[in-house]
Amino acid sequence: MHPPLSLIFFFLTAGTSIGLFIFMYAIEFLQLFGKGQGLPKEVILKLGIIELLLIGAGAIGASFHLGHKLRAWKAIRRFRTSWLSREAVFSGAYGFTLLVYLVLNQLDANPFFEHFFGVLTFILGVLSGFSTAMIYASNKFVLEWNTSITVIYYLLMYLMLGSSLMAYFSYLYKLPYLGTFIFLTFLFLVLSFGFRLAFNIRQFYLKRPTMNEALNLPHNRPIRVIDTGSTTHNYCTEEFYYKKGKDMLSTVIPVAYLLTFVVPLFLVLYAWITGTHNQWILGLTYLFILVGSALERWSFFVEGNHVQNLFYGLYPEEGYKVRKGFMERKETKISLYG
Amino acid sequence: MAQYALVIDLNTCVGCHACATNCKEWNTQAAFGPLSDYDPYGREPSGVWYNRIMTYETGEFPNTQVFHLPKSCLHCQDAPCVPVCPTGATYKREQDGIVLVNYDDCIGCKLCSWSCPYGCREFDEADKVMKKCTLCIDRVYDESLPPEHRQPACVLTCPARARFFGDIEDPNSEVYKIIQERNGFVLFPDMGTNPANHYLPRIETKINLEEFEKHILKPDNPLFLEVMKRHHVSNKTPEQKQVEEVV
Repeated sequence: MHPPLSLIFFFLTAGTSIGLFIFMYAIEFLQLFGKGQGLPKEVILKLGIIELLLIGAGAIGASFHLGHKLRAWKAIRRFRTSWLSREAVFSGAYGFTLLVYLVLNQLDANPFFEHFFGVLTFILGVLSGFSTAMIYASNKFVLEWNTSITVIYYLLMYLMLGSSLMAYFSYLYKLPYLGTFIFLTFLFLVLSFGFRLAFNIRQFYLKRPTMNEALNLPHNRPIRVIDTGSTTHNYCTEEFYYKKGKDMLSTVIPVAYLLTFVVPLFLVLYAWITGTHNQWILGLTYLFILVGSALERWSFFVEGNHVQNLFYGLYPEEGYKVRKGFMERKETKISLYG
Repeated sequence: MAQYALVIDLNTCVGCHACATNCKEWNTQAAFGPLSDYDPYGREPSGVWYNRIMTYETGEFPNTQVFHLPKSCLHCQDAPCVPVCPTGATYKREQDGIVLVNYDDCIGCKLCSWSCPYGCREFDEADKVMKKCTLCIDRVYDESLPPEHRQPACVLTCPARARFFGDIEDPNSEVYKIIQERNGFVLFPDMGTNPANHYLPRIETKINLEEFEKHILKPDNPLFLEVMKRHHVSNKTPEQKQVEEVV
């Protein structure tokens, strides 16, 4: 699949915004039960503005992959069936409730309403991330994405982005949660790393359809594409098969793993074990995760193989298993040789 | 419920691309047009097509066969492109099962094309909306056209008469009968999309002249005398006529 840069941008901004809010509000929420000391109002304001700006930038950025940006509001219509519609609704609602929460928090309004909107923003943020991940995970024609692992590691990466930035701000604003967030960054790095590996390993065991299945021919019949009807590329071969990306993928994936998981893990472990807490280490950890995540998202798109590529002979064949039993239950009779 | 669809006979399709060309010609000027072209006179001409013809080869040399597969929107009965559309721009008509795109609501997010396993939706870079085969709905319901012309442009133009159009749910329709009689099949049957467009499989026709001579031109065949009588009228000898008949 061709990687849309605007969606990668949305992942980074929305992921950081939602991840950061989840941890920021978690501290506030735990204070309700006498756990921790909460956050100073100025810090909540600063972090809240960053979250608002990021989700706003993400929404504007994401609209760049749309043909008609001004009609984007219409995307709320099919909430009942479309994950993209749900994502649009939840992301928009997240931004709105976040603003209301910040206003209530800064005005010292009724704590019930403040926390009501806090919890609502928290839930909407998670739902927004979940809906975005489900756009990919629910697509059964891109088998690489069509798994619950996609959703789990998508959300884990939101938490990874949020916790690493929260660790940085904990140092910057001298908050008493630095150790906690260094540990959480480590935890979500390890979990995301594990699930990303599982996502990649799963691809080797996928049972893929074949061109014979696409054309409804028996499996034992050799078939090859002679002509695709046009002398140049078309929308289908460009959108669903990114040749340049496929060539670069074997280089980009290791770099993405290195920048997103390995280097930040070393940095966090160094900070944790040696107790060296400074803004360089924590800032670099977030930056590495941010840049690595961009590459990781790029790889995620390029790794996806759409089944329509079968018609063009661009679908992977070697090293993959054919679906067992296919065609044995078919009743269609096709006579090519008489 | 009615379900209009195309039935394409792979046995007679010669891969001439007339259907694709006439589709492009009709639809680029009709209600759902234009079908934009990019760099039409340049080095890499491309553009939006509702219908593309793929050519495949099966078998192993020297026993190979080539067949052509015209592929346009299959108007799936469980169309996966419809529920994913965030605006409701893509919809399936209840009265005839045709899947259409409302260009005024389409935001060009391309998600419908991601959800089509057949690659039958194309993004128009000029209009910034998703476009696809409409089964020439503007022809099918146009009462100003003669009844025999109320068919998709591709069906009317096919020189090999390999394309049929009609209601595949109506047992009295021609397409229903053709699908039943000739084992019509669909593409990607396991994807759960239940496509409406069907294809008729290739059938190899063998004519054995030796068998013909052996059975028809035998003296004990009741038709033999009739054949002889006909040829007797002309000046040619029956043997010469027989040879001509066989050839």
